Amino acid sequence: MTNFGKMEKWTLRFAVVALLFLALSGFEGMLMRTQLYDVDSLHGMEAFLNNLRPGDIEPTTAELYYAMLTAHPVVGIYGFVYMAVFGAFYFLVPYLINKPVKHPKLVVTNFWLQIIGVMVCWASGFFGLFNAMYTLYWPLPVAFDRVPVLGSIFFMLGAAAIMVNILLFSYNIFKTVLSKNGDGSYTLGQFLRAAFGIPRLMKLFGKEDKTAVNLDYNGLPPFIVAVARGSIDTVINAIVLLTAGVLILIYGLFALFGNPLNPLAVDALIYKNVYWWGLDMVADGNALIYTAGVWYLLVPLLTGRKLFGANVVKTVIMVDLLVSMGVWSHHLLGDTSQPMWMKILSGQLITWGEYFTMGLTIFVSLMTIWKARPVKMTPPMKFVLGSMFGFVMGGISGLIQANVGLNLIFHNTQWVVALHAHTFLLSGVGTMLFSVIYTLVPMLTGLEFKHKKLVDWHLWLWLIGNVSMAYAMGMAGSNGMVRRTLYTGGEFTTNTLVAIIGGSIAAIGFLVFLVNLISTIGFKNVLALVIPEGKQKLPVPATSAD
Amino acid sequence: MEKAERRWLYVLIVVFVIVNVVTLSSLIPWQSWQIWQDPEPSQVVNIAYEDYTITMDTPVEIKTGEFVEFAATSADVTYGFGVFREDNSMVFQMQVLPGRVNRITWKFDETGTYDVRSTEYSGPKHSDMVVRDAIVVK
Repeated sequence: MTNFGKMEKWTLRFAVVALLFLALSGFEGMLMRTQLYDVDSLHGMEAFLNNLRPGDIEPTTAELYYAMLTAHPVVGIYGFVYMAVFGAFYFLVPYLINKPVKHPKLVVTNFWLQIIGVMVCWASGFFGLFNAMYTLYWPLPVAFDRVPVLGSIFFMLGAAAIMVNILLFSYNIFKTVLSKNGDGSYTLGQFLRAAFGIPRLMKLFGKEDKTAVNLDYNGLPPFIVAVARGSIDTVINAIVLLTAGVLILIYGLFALFGNPLNPLAVDALIYKNVYWWGLDMVADGNALIYTAGVWYLLVPLLTGRKLFGANVVKTVIMVDLLVSMGVWSHHLLGDTSQPMWMKILSGQLITWGEYFTMGLTIFVSLMTIWKARPVKMTPPMKFVLGSMFGFVMGGISGLIQANVGLNLIFHNTQWVVALHAHTFLLSGVGTMLFSVIYTLVPMLTGLEFKHKKLVDWHLWLWLIGNVSMAYAMGMAGSNGMVRRTLYTGGEFTTNTLVAIIGGSIAAIGFLVFLVNLISTIGFKNVLALVIPEGKQKLPVPATSAD
Repeated sequence: MEKAERRWLYVLIVVFVIVNVVTLSSLIPWQSWQIWQDPEPSQVVNIAYEDYTITMDTPVEIKTGEFVEFAATSADVTYGFGVFREDNSMVFQMQVLPGRVNRITWKFDETGTYDVRSTEYSGPKHSDMVVRDAIVVK
């Protein structure tokens, strides 16, 4: 059995749980696609699972489908993506700035609270049949004739736990960077100014930011700046979603005790604007800027060459903050009550800002690789390139739907959720996170991946499967297949069948990866990750987290 | 900024300008009346949503080339108003938010019979919200 360091062990634990959540989310996705293909196909399983639910309830297939559809993105985004990001950043940030994590106990709290929050949300769907979708469009989550009140209350408690946990994680990362240990000491003001890009903005206007240590983000690596910059969006996201959750929770508690509040007291359009302003920050903070930061880190690391055009990269990080604050209206292009100027400016034109920031990010990353030829195609390098492909594909489909004219026929169709959201999350962010795992496992354990050929199988099965799934459902969307709709008349079955095959191919790729990972680390070592430290026989070495 | 980066930025800018100018212009047919004109509709079709039910006088008879305004209201939650051809492909759609009148103007250029479907999730019975043969365009 290999003796891992304490923080290395926690990073591996985060990764293992993240992968379990990815498996759960993928399994749910496959079940739902199967129901879309044949609505009666899972009746046997439904009857069996009803025995596990409390009380004498017999939910309809539609109630089960929509409850699963509500839990699915929570498990995928806050279970898989956030857990992986927590684990990776808790290792990489201290490693890069040569400072220990400021509050090691918070790492443990983050680990458990995230699992509890996600599982409470999941259980609210499985047991409580909460079905208001993650979009929580007002007043659906408080329409308790459609959404079970207890399910709603527990879902909001789970969501609140997740959001508080994200705030704690961001606090710990900021405190770690700002701590006085080590060489670099920065004040909160300097760090926030760096994250907001104030020194670079002033430089553009020919002025000097006298409070900055220097104009290059106080000497911080671009990855750290990207983490700080993305964390601003992540924090805003958590605060907005926490506020919405508390509002729904209050309505739920009043309804539970027999004094229901008036849902029309909250304006549905204003709520939708605020909610999407915060919710879309996940896409900018987590999906875009965290990913960009990882590319800024991995590409130079893997090629042994300085990042091409690093100055532009720093400006890109700054500009993207302004972009991220103003793009939410692309989610409201189907709302005719939304002013047209907001749709054109915020919904369409500012959204194109992300095309510039990500376009430049991918360009500088590819130029760095090009100039470093001949480049060794290591496992992480292959997955870095794969994730760029995912972002280009998901980005282009996103720009098509974020168009005032085209959105009239794409809004709320399978195009949005398949070709944009799932491509971004699976082919883009998912592939990027695999590149991080392929980088970190050798760094954390000193072990190289055992089977090189399985890495290739993983890459190609993962990408081909996800792209086929997204393409099949995207085409169904362009032909009018609406998302969040359980078709019962045999519509779009060919597209759905192709998507099921694509999803199965991606799942096989994922299993190939698990086989390679477990055979590399060793099954005993994987088991050791779940045994409490006090009960392990081997001594735990002192690390940066102690 | 490196020379290659500047050139790439110019490419991005050119694509940005071309795509946005084209898609905001009348080259996309419905943009002419969604953005640039305010046409007077020849008729207004009222649609009411409540308790998973779409209420409208069907079939709505419309002539090709005429502007029609669809005005939808909801008495409880958010729904969607989508018009679909017989092969299930979508003609257009909008969100139907409670507490306001949601309006969209359209000009049909194809004769035929169209269904209306709610395009926004409104609860577990949402999938059944379809009005077959709701619109006949002559």
